[in-house]
Amino acid sequence: MDEPHLKRDLGLIRTTMLGIGGTLSAANFVIIGEAAGMAGYAIVPIVVICGLLSLLTMFSYAELGTAIPLAGGEYTFAKVAYGGFTSFLTGWFEWLSNMFYAALSAIGFAYVLSFLLPQINIELTAVVLVIVFSIVNLRGTKETATAETIITVTVLAVLTIFIIGAWSFVSGNPATPQSVSLVGPLGIFAATAYLFELYLGAEAVAAAQAEVKNPGRTIPLAIILSAVVLIALYTSVVVVAVNIASPQVLSEQSSPIAFVAQQALGPAGAILITIGLAIAGLAATNEAILAQSRVLYAMSRDGYLPKALCKVHKRFCTPHVAIIVSAIFTMIFAATGLVNFVVYAVNFGFIVGFSIVNMSVIRLRKIAPHLKRPFKAPLYPLTPIAGIAASIFLSLFIEPSVLILGVELIIVALLVYYIRMVGHHRMRIAFGGISLGLGAFAAFSAYLLGTNSIVLQGISSEVTTLVLYVLFFVSIVQILAGVLNMIVPDR
Amino acid sequence: METKTILSKTIGVMQTGIGVVAMIFAFLAFYDIFGIQTVLGISSESIGLYLWVFVIFGLLSSISGLFLFYER
Repeated sequence: MDEPHLKRDLGLIRTTMLGIGGTLSAANFVIIGEAAGMAGYAIVPIVVICGLLSLLTMFSYAELGTAIPLAGGEYTFAKVAYGGFTSFLTGWFEWLSNMFYAALSAIGFAYVLSFLLPQINIELTAVVLVIVFSIVNLRGTKETATAETIITVTVLAVLTIFIIGAWSFVSGNPATPQSVSLVGPLGIFAATAYLFELYLGAEAVAAAQAEVKNPGRTIPLAIILSAVVLIALYTSVVVVAVNIASPQVLSEQSSPIAFVAQQALGPAGAILITIGLAIAGLAATNEAILAQSRVLYAMSRDGYLPKALCKVHKRFCTPHVAIIVSAIFTMIFAATGLVNFVVYAVNFGFIVGFSIVNMSVIRLRKIAPHLKRPFKAPLYPLTPIAGIAASIFLSLFIEPSVLILGVELIIVALLVYYIRMVGHHRMRIAFGGISLGLGAFAAFSAYLLGTNSIVLQGISSEVTTLVLYVLFFVSIVQILAGVLNMIVPDR
Repeated sequence: METKTILSKTIGVMQTGIGVVAMIFAFLAFYDIFGIQTVLGISSESIGLYLWVFVIFGLLSSISGLFLFYER
């Protein structure tokens, strides 16, 4: 399928709005409370540091976005710079990050809404939202920068009203000095790794380069402008929030900013901010569902994933299989309602993606020194190296369960890649052997359990019998699957 | 459809299902949703190991099942 030719009609303001709008998610204003609990009053400088760390990588995005005039963002950059497994891994994590981001945005929307409607079920609301926007995406979206600009301006206006109103309240009611409990450096680093998510989405500026007027000038300016606006915005929100409610109180709220708005501006303020954040949540969920399905589509088109994922619906002209697959995974994670896990998962995916983008800048400067670069990352090679170092450092403070999941996802990526690239027949025989091994293990476990050689401590005999039957069933299925995979003829 | 194809698809679906259930179970157990840790007497120290084992088992099982399901 031919890539459509996009019209270059985005000026500086609308491009900047893409960067700002891409990051404004309801979830960001939910996780601020949790981060305040982790870092105390240190949350204020942490918000600024996260913005500056993100800006380092944004320079790399700007350089690559203007030098490689192809749609696809980091996946395309890695494909040009490295190709092979690295580009596959980048696309893989780009998809996963957007999938987790969609789940997070949906959960964030539900939490924000629960401030006004406490009786709603968070998990159910998040899942319903994912279903609704998946259907919207299936039917085709007339995604326009104009709509994005209107939503962003509305959310910015609401947040500005909140900041001014809350600041007036703080000025008129000087806060009682709080006892400041010191947070150790580990708490501060953990909060930085947690809050890194605040600025994710600003890379949308580089991804949209095909539609930007004079991209060599507009993209870097838009990236810097959006970073400055976002740092100022988040810092102002956090400053007024911790001046009205203590970090501990903020961490106990389902929607901390709505809580602060209620304290400062009354019920009307809480309703206003909830509506504003809900709009941001809806837009972010929609964009993330759209983005993840397009990544799956592009990877399938390039032969990295099954061809079914790049099927386009005859009537709606949308990649319906990719959208449905993405929606299923998003719903599973949205259904957990686990904000912290999903935040760290989003961060892990983006940290991997950011590292590869920075590495791509360095690699392309070496292998393609004469490539036309309308914008060059300042202070090269310090900027991309600092971006990589910051990513590695932050990844050390990510929740261990997410790191385990991340390593497993890299293993899965390796498996999927080699299944596509290595001979199908050899992979099937290998998996046949693995299945036989799993079947033998399950059968042996069932034997040990059945002969009371191993005893499940503190478990009733009924549950033990149930486990025994499950193990029998699993062993039979695994052994049959192993045999069927191994006897496949080589075609 | 020949008998072997039907058998492959059926076993493929079952194996993938087992894999998916194992992975979901791993996360439910890890976060102690529905009090699974208490019901199965899993200590909080060893829960990370359970997560690893079940997720790896689930992934391998799912991929093997998909091979069978999409058998050409």
